[in-house]
Amino acid sequence: MDVNWLQVLVNSAVTGSLYLIASAGLTLIYGLCKFPYFAYAEYIALGAFIGYFVSEVMGVSLSGAFVISFLVVGAIGFLCYRGIFQPLARRGATIIHLMVASVALGLILRHLIPVFGDIFPVLEWSWSPSYFTADWAAFNLGSVRITGLWAWTVIAAIGLSIALHIMLTKSKIGKAIRATSSNPNLALASGIDVQKVIWITWSLGAGLAAIAGIFRGAETQVWPNTGWEMILPVFAVVMLGGIGNFYGAITAAFIVGLAENIGVVALTALGLSTSYRIGIAFIILIITLIVKPQGLAMLFRRS
Amino acid sequence: MDLSMYLLDLIVFIGIFSIMSLSLNLEYGFTGLPNFGKVVFFLIGAYSYALLSQAGVPFYICLIVGAIIAAVFGFLISLPALRLRIDYLAIVILTAGEIIRLIVKTEDWIGGGDWGTSVAPAIAISGTSPQVNILINIGLVYACLFICFVISRLLTNSPYGRTMRAIREDEVAAEALGKDRAKYKAQILMLGSAMAGLAGGLYVQYLHYVLPGMFMPIVTFTVWIMVLLGGPANCWGALLGACLVQIFDRGANLAKDLLTLPTDASNLQYILFGVLILLILIYRPQGLLKESAIKTRAINRIRKLKEPENNKGDYK
Repeated sequence: MDVNWLQVLVNSAVTGSLYLIASAGLTLIYGLCKFPYFAYAEYIALGAFIGYFVSEVMGVSLSGAFVISFLVVGAIGFLCYRGIFQPLARRGATIIHLMVASVALGLILRHLIPVFGDIFPVLEWSWSPSYFTADWAAFNLGSVRITGLWAWTVIAAIGLSIALHIMLTKSKIGKAIRATSSNPNLALASGIDVQKVIWITWSLGAGLAAIAGIFRGAETQVWPNTGWEMILPVFAVVMLGGIGNFYGAITAAFIVGLAENIGVVALTALGLSTSYRIGIAFIILIITLIVKPQGLAMLFRRS
Repeated sequence: MDLSMYLLDLIVFIGIFSIMSLSLNLEYGFTGLPNFGKVVFFLIGAYSYALLSQAGVPFYICLIVGAIIAAVFGFLISLPALRLRIDYLAIVILTAGEIIRLIVKTEDWIGGGDWGTSVAPAIAISGTSPQVNILINIGLVYACLFICFVISRLLTNSPYGRTMRAIREDEVAAEALGKDRAKYKAQILMLGSAMAGLAGGLYVQYLHYVLPGMFMPIVTFTVWIMVLLGGPANCWGALLGACLVQIFDRGANLAKDLLTLPTDASNLQYILFGVLILLILIYRPQGLLKESAIKTRAINRIRKLKEPENNKGDYK
């Protein structure tokens, strides 16, 4: 079989970039609140739907869709924390209760999307998939095919990494997020407003999920399961990178992306169905948790 | 479908899901294992039953073997999973469940892939009315439920059950007292999986077909609602939760036909499920029934001695 390995590498970079954008927010939230936040999948789906509404139905530009989607889903993320998880945490809910609550919230948000679509038909939200109509120019670099969307995904991932790096290391709020994530009590004792840090992180994380949602929606389709379809690979990235570790997540996103694309080649060569593609991320996730639950975090630990 | 059939159908569903909620109650309620992949053991039991009955094996062997295969799978998952932290355990079981469903969905030679396959009913008497067939099913399901309930009660009231609660409350303390927590957790996961596998077999033989779409993660979540609503660590609570959730489910389906809503009612049903669970978690995390007290002969005797009227002459 003839495989264009350069194309596989490019595809891996694109998949990895998408996973990076999607997992950046989750790793921050998971690192801060110490429980797997399953409703994150619905932030991705909501982001895709809001982006779809703004850019396709209202006809605003795609960049406007990114900004509005980021802000709206960020606000939703804040409200979810303030309305559900903060009361739960204050009542001393166990980690299992928090996980179940996040699944419940995900269920509510996922099914609210078509309900909103039915009540306000102008939104054009429903269970049947819709598609972004933007026509992405595809161009060839030698033997490699690249579309405009892919190029933008990679650029967005690089831009996001640089922006988050600067934020986490240079800005006051970024340092506060890292401090709270590693030791909440010590952070509180040193005068950090932990509550505010948590609010900001939840909004920021939700907003990042929304951006990933638009990229995913533009690449495939927009429907209420858009988020759920990619949440387990995103968890794989977060676990492999080490929970709460942004630099680990960058590395892990590209490892998972590469593994998936090489895996597709391998699956085809073995004569298996390519729908097992998503299983590759599952296997990475399980192996990581069994062999090294702390993930790649130790590569990025500062002495 | 007339009303009597509808009610009988509801009773069968309550029975099958009571087995599921009893098994999750053992795992989560008593031992504190967050089994977020309950549906996968249900699926394994269901497909084992379907494939074995197609091979002409009698139904009781199909049910038992389905339960055993599910238990073996529970054991395999427990090998790596139980040494992990609680949130990792939840993710691993959830993920494993998605992989199994993906395999069943993709491989056409296992029960017809995405399109599913038909399953022969366990006990079929030709020439009888559908009511009689449903009654036979009720008998079968409730016999199994009775066995599972008795096992749960006996187990949780035994020293073994007290170890389970100890592991839930403080793993390290239990280990310090010489209880091998990984062994106990693995055994509970196996037992819970066997019960779920049994329920899966009963489910598909009643519905007469099996397809991967029946085993979405929402099933796991429904069982979680049953346990959390009824009251974790209380076997009666698990039954109560299963009843209430199934009745709620049916009621919502009936309301769908009677009411005209601006939107698809099945969406609203899931939203109501979600809201219900959030309300339980925030306002009544212990569920409707509180945890059942530990009953032993020693505790009973102390209780008797404390009551003044029984205090006389009882020096045995």
